[in-house]
Amino acid sequence: MGTAVIADRLQFAFTIMFHYLFPIGTMGLAPFIAWFNIKAYRGRDPEAASAARFWTKVFAVNFAAGVVTGIPMEFQFGMNWAPFAARSGAVIGQPLVMEGVYAFFLESIFLGVLLYGRRQVSERIYVLSSVLVCLGSWLSGFFIVATDAWMQHPVGYAVAAGGRIELRSLAAVLLSPFAWWQYAHVLTGALVAGGFIVAGVGSYYLLAHRDESFGRRFVRAGTMVAFVFSAIAIFPTGDLNGADVTRYQPVKLAAMEGLFASQRGAPLAILGMPDTARETLIDPVFVPDALSFLAYGNVAANVKGLSSYARTLWPPVALTYYAYHVMVGLGTIFVSLAALALLWLLRRKLFGARWLLWMLMLAMPFPYVANEAGWVTTEVGRQPWIAYGLMKTADAASQNVAAGETIFTLIGFAGMYFAIGVLFLLLTLREIGAGPAEAPL
Amino acid sequence: MNAAGFALLALMIGAYVLLDGYDLGVAAIAPLTTRTPAERAAAMSAIGPFWNGNEVWLIAAGGALFALFPKAYASAFSGFYLPFVAVLWLLMFRGLALELRNHFKNELWHTFWDSAFFASSAALIVLFGVALGNLLRGVPLDRRGYFSGTFAFLLNPYAVGVGIFALFALAQHGLTFLTLRVDGPPARRARRVQSIVWWFVLLAYLLVTVATFVLRAGSVHHAAWLAFLPLPSLLALGAVRFFAARGEERGAFVASAAFLASLLLAAAGTMFPYLLPAYPARAGGLSIYDAAPSPSALATTLTVTIVGLCAVVAYTIFTAGRMAGKIRAPE
Repeated sequence: MGTAVIADRLQFAFTIMFHYLFPIGTMGLAPFIAWFNIKAYRGRDPEAASAARFWTKVFAVNFAAGVVTGIPMEFQFGMNWAPFAARSGAVIGQPLVMEGVYAFFLESIFLGVLLYGRRQVSERIYVLSSVLVCLGSWLSGFFIVATDAWMQHPVGYAVAAGGRIELRSLAAVLLSPFAWWQYAHVLTGALVAGGFIVAGVGSYYLLAHRDESFGRRFVRAGTMVAFVFSAIAIFPTGDLNGADVTRYQPVKLAAMEGLFASQRGAPLAILGMPDTARETLIDPVFVPDALSFLAYGNVAANVKGLSSYARTLWPPVALTYYAYHVMVGLGTIFVSLAALALLWLLRRKLFGARWLLWMLMLAMPFPYVANEAGWVTTEVGRQPWIAYGLMKTADAASQNVAAGETIFTLIGFAGMYFAIGVLFLLLTLREIGAGPAEAPL
Repeated sequence: MNAAGFALLALMIGAYVLLDGYDLGVAAIAPLTTRTPAERAAAMSAIGPFWNGNEVWLIAAGGALFALFPKAYASAFSGFYLPFVAVLWLLMFRGLALELRNHFKNELWHTFWDSAFFASSAALIVLFGVALGNLLRGVPLDRRGYFSGTFAFLLNPYAVGVGIFALFALAQHGLTFLTLRVDGPPARRARRVQSIVWWFVLLAYLLVTVATFVLRAGSVHHAAWLAFLPLPSLLALGAVRFFAARGEERGAFVASAAFLASLLLAAAGTMFPYLLPAYPARAGGLSIYDAAPSPSALATTLTVTIVGLCAVVAYTIFTAGRMAGKIRAPE
């Protein structure tokens, strides 16, 4: 693979991974805002209204960073991946234009109402706006995942003369089961993050002995959401997403699990380091037969290992393997921590259990790690294909953009994103420091 | 079907220019209309609720170009890689400036982000203008339809002229919006500045129009109606002055929008059926028939996009109607 392709991949990976930090926050926090606004409206609950305003301000910082880092994504297909864009635009351009028209407008325009219109619109429209912002951010996620899902498992297309990929059925692209399970898993991941953020900020207020009424509210709501969705992240969404990978991308499954030799009753590797040269796992910890069971629901099922495939079809094994194990490991920790917190909540001891509040507060960054690791698994594991089985990544990069140009702009993006990251943290921590008590908008 | 796709794309870009145009214009001309931080804050809050929604038109138009004419999308963005990255960075910088400014009550912080906002907005307008100028003039394309010229080629006098014209025209658009939305000293200054800027718009319009006629006279045969377009343009421009002089702010804003719309119609008519006209003009270019998706795929994209945009227009009007009302700048 040439330097130009590596540079293009690095730039895309860097810009999209950085961008994705913010949609995690918007998709995860939007339902809390809508929920607090509805509570405030229905129950004449001024504290819920303050809570909604507080999270709206945190959301707005997330949204702004998401918008500015999202602008390049819409155009990078054409800039760095021109041959792929020219070949497949009729298909993947479709969900992307729908993202703009059906989701991004909705989210932007009604966020304008939430931020500037509290005195200008009626209470009912204000509440409705927060629901529409949530809907917009979730729909946005759907169309983006639908685009990616097509690259993972192309459907609803036909290859025309000259290799051009034609759209046959938009319904098939949008209703692809691969897209729906992947989307359900992605949205669940964002809600786990949202739950842990809300619970973590609440824990901070309780630990710091300030805004304690809000703190209890946030810890309660956040813990419940984190528990429910970290369970759903494992089953059914994670499990069925995995079933799709097993069916359509068996090489990726083998790389994720570090399985080199095909075998009946394949074990599940909990730990271990893949050694691709000797085609073995170093220092593995296995659960016997478990992989066969998870993949096929049968402890004796045959699972194909990497050695059944030509090496040119292998994704980068180590990266796929580690990313997947980081995601699964963290997911297991999340569900345990959330279950523990929920148990203490039901025993009415959570708000006084400082050790547990500390853990909830410190857990905040890790759902971000898990979400990103999941994406690394799915995208790195897709290699060497840009569109699975249809087009190789190596053939997809722009011929008329030199590696040097891309590296130059990558450095530029890195500098700019560093500044954005610092400002984002500064502003978010400032909002949290100012507190929800009298958050004017 | 391909022509309908071209029309939809032109419409979306037109909506972007008319809508984001006023907030870019308000920013670019703000150094002349605002003096104190409080006045600048008033000018910013005039566009605060709307700029993001306006900018989505650009994103959506980019998506529509991708889906409708993938080849042109791929050729344009990879061909103009570095200028395009410059546009992206400016757009990002501008978004940051607008969002970050109000988070600290510190005069230096405000001054920094305000200046960043004004400068990046003005630079964006000029860059968009230069891009449009090059599209009208044509760009060198290789056999596969990719840009084969140099950076210096893009900075020709004609394109730079269109860039400067864009700066005047959108400054005027922003001024009419500012007088509509803000009261107090900035509005008074905006009226004064606008009556001067108007003459620059007129002059630049005449020069660019004549230059365009000279440049494309040999290659645009299909549309004789283009020769009559300067009439509505001049009428609209006259109406801007007429309404502005009588203090009819809404009328002036609408007239300015009509002026811009007539310009974009002229530009689209000149380019049609090419998305990326070649230079020299007789070489043709990348047209709407080159490697376009099948008619049924185009029809799907058109239907889905138009239905969605109808809803967008409806709720844009609904929310804008509720969020209207003047912002008072301190005397």
